Amino acid sequence: MLTRIIAVLTRDLKSGLRDAMIAYIMIVPILIAIVLKLLVPSAGANLIHVAVLESADPAFISMLEDHGRVEILADRDALVNRVSAVDDVIGLIETPQGTEMIAGGNEQEGTVEMVTAVVDLWQNRDLEIPVLVRFSDVGWELSPLAQYGTSFLIVFVSVFGGMVVMLNLVEEKQANTLAAINVSAISRLEFVVGKGLLGFILPLFHAFAILLIMGFTSIHIGMTVVVVLSIALISLIFGFVIGIYNDNSMSAVSSMKIGFIPIFGSVFGAMFLDSQWHPFLYWSPFYWAFRSIDQIILQQAVWNDMLLNSLYILLITMMVFALLYKRIKRGFA
Amino acid sequence: MIDAKELTYSYSKGKKNAIEQISFSVDEGEAFALLGPSGAGKSTTQGILTGLLPIQQGEATVAGTDLHHLSRSMFNKIGVSFEQSNVYGKLTALENLEFYRKLFDGSAIDPMTLLKQVGLDQVADKRADTFSKGMKHRLTFARSMINQPQIWFLDEPTTGLDPAIASQIKQIIKERKASGTTILLTTHNMVLADELSDKVGFIIDGQLKLVDTPRNLKLRYGEKLVQVEYKTEDTVKSELLSMVDEQERKRLGDIIHQYEIETMHTREATLEEIFIKVTGRGLV
Ligand SMILES: Nc1ncnc2c1ncn2[C@@H]1O[C@H](COP(=O)(O)OP(=O)(O)O)[C@@H](O)[C@H]1O
Ligand SMILES: [Mg+2]
Repeated sequence: MLTRIIAVLTRDLKSGLRDAMIAYIMIVPILIAIVLKLLVPSAGANLIHVAVLESADPAFISMLEDHGRVEILADRDALVNRVSAVDDVIGLIETPQGTEMIAGGNEQEGTVEMVTAVVDLWQNRDLEIPVLVRFSDVGWELSPLAQYGTSFLIVFVSVFGGMVVMLNLVEEKQANTLAAINVSAISRLEFVVGKGLLGFILPLFHAFAILLIMGFTSIHIGMTVVVVLSIALISLIFGFVIGIYNDNSMSAVSSMKIGFIPIFGSVFGAMFLDSQWHPFLYWSPFYWAFRSIDQIILQQAVWNDMLLNSLYILLITMMVFALLYKRIKRGFA
Repeated sequence: MIDAKELTYSYSKGKKNAIEQISFSVDEGEAFALLGPSGAGKSTTQGILTGLLPIQQGEATVAGTDLHHLSRSMFNKIGVSFEQSNVYGKLTALENLEFYRKLFDGSAIDPMTLLKQVGLDQVADKRADTFSKGMKHRLTFARSMINQPQIWFLDEPTTGLDPAIASQIKQIIKERKASGTTILLTTHNMVLADELSDKVGFIIDGQLKLVDTPRNLKLRYGEKLVQVEYKTEDTVKSELLSMVDEQERKRLGDIIHQYEIETMHTREATLEEIFIKVTGRGLV
């Protein structure tokens, strides 16, 4: 039983690595993660983003530069203008009373607190007692690009797993090697499990590679595995269904790409929509997966939430499976 | 070993039957050839007996397994060589066989030995998608015997191969037959059917017209064929007539009566000629 499953799995892996399209799908998430990592400014440099006046104390400016990006502007008006732009810039003006902070009101959670902490550091620079401000909470160190980019990429690779399974299946059909399988002693179950395993192993491998490349090394491994496996399942079912109904890898891939729409939709929705709109995304397993992974990366994940989210994903998957079951069965015959 | 009863199969939900009421049986160690032109229903019959096509009407048992209740273990006892070669292009010849042997229980033939037998040992480590059609066909053929099948299904095993390779394949089939393997062979090549089989079934338009041993067929039809050449006004015509058939005997009488006979002799019929006599059509 096990040897046959492993035989099917290793055959797919071996054959896949010799197939340009499959090899590409296997490698591309890693490449994207590397690019993403290069795009994200190294942690620390991006701690704060402030604007100050030309007239500010050079020592203050250089101290701020140690903690993030500093823009220097001519006068108060220019500074206020800069602050009200869409990004998270906080203006700092030194007054005899202390440092005045000008915020636009649309800043990310935590931004103001961090700048406050840095300013406190400056104002207390003469004190002998060590200042106990440390930026240990990853949430603060994270750039949104690293945080959302990583979560998005991990949700996305689950589809790649399904796609590789699908392409291997299409190849079996195209070459009619499926007929040779059907006259061997391997059972349908062994074959399906062997074919499907790659759809779990590959996203797991991708997810941990991405987390490693992005530097999220202290996330909860168990929770990550649970989320990735549950989201891989639904991609796998789609992979199987599309694989069974397509004789040509090109048309199969384009069918699979339709799956990108709910993924992009629900992930971007989760990123940018106000939480009151989120119920409109509850139907999407990718929404729940994204939320889970986001919390894992922020190290705010707790088992209860993770399991609940995965339960939603599994329930949705089961409904999809129930809808497609007849087609799957017919396709294999 | 193989028992087929009134098998009827349609690809179009009953509109047109690809095969109709096919019944025959193959005993242990026997080689049975389904002989018929392209489109006769040979592959369809083999498809049903190997479980690739669902059994729609009729009954069939293969190696003791009722095909209405297919069990995977039956496949340990059978081997199937396909008309169209079907191997993994991205795997080497050796990898193809190594993979396939793992799908069976029990002992398998060493893949390298098989490759040597079909003359592919030199290219064992080459990917199958670099192979010619004939090489792929030989690999498909080699794969079909890896589990040392008791029953061997061979769909057009030599079609499209060059003569040297075809005779090599024929030799392998003969050897396995001699060691007791039961064989179901489909072919439109009567020489092959004549040479390899104990029994021949003539199949045409989905119907099995006749089953007998090649020897009986020749005894029954062979000596009683007359080849006659006669002169009409401006040409010499030739006809092959059966002395069993009432009408053809009459026709011979008419010819002798009306025309000048050039040559006339009886001779043994080939299976192909018998096929034409029985079915009224040729094998291609
Ligand atoms: N997959 C198929 N779908 C529809 N018709 C088919 C299919 N395969 C074969 N047929 C038809 O069934 C008949 C028998 O074909 P087949 O069994 O392949 O004949 P043979 O093997 O003797 O050449 C033919 O009329 C053929 O056109
Ligand atoms: Mg055929």
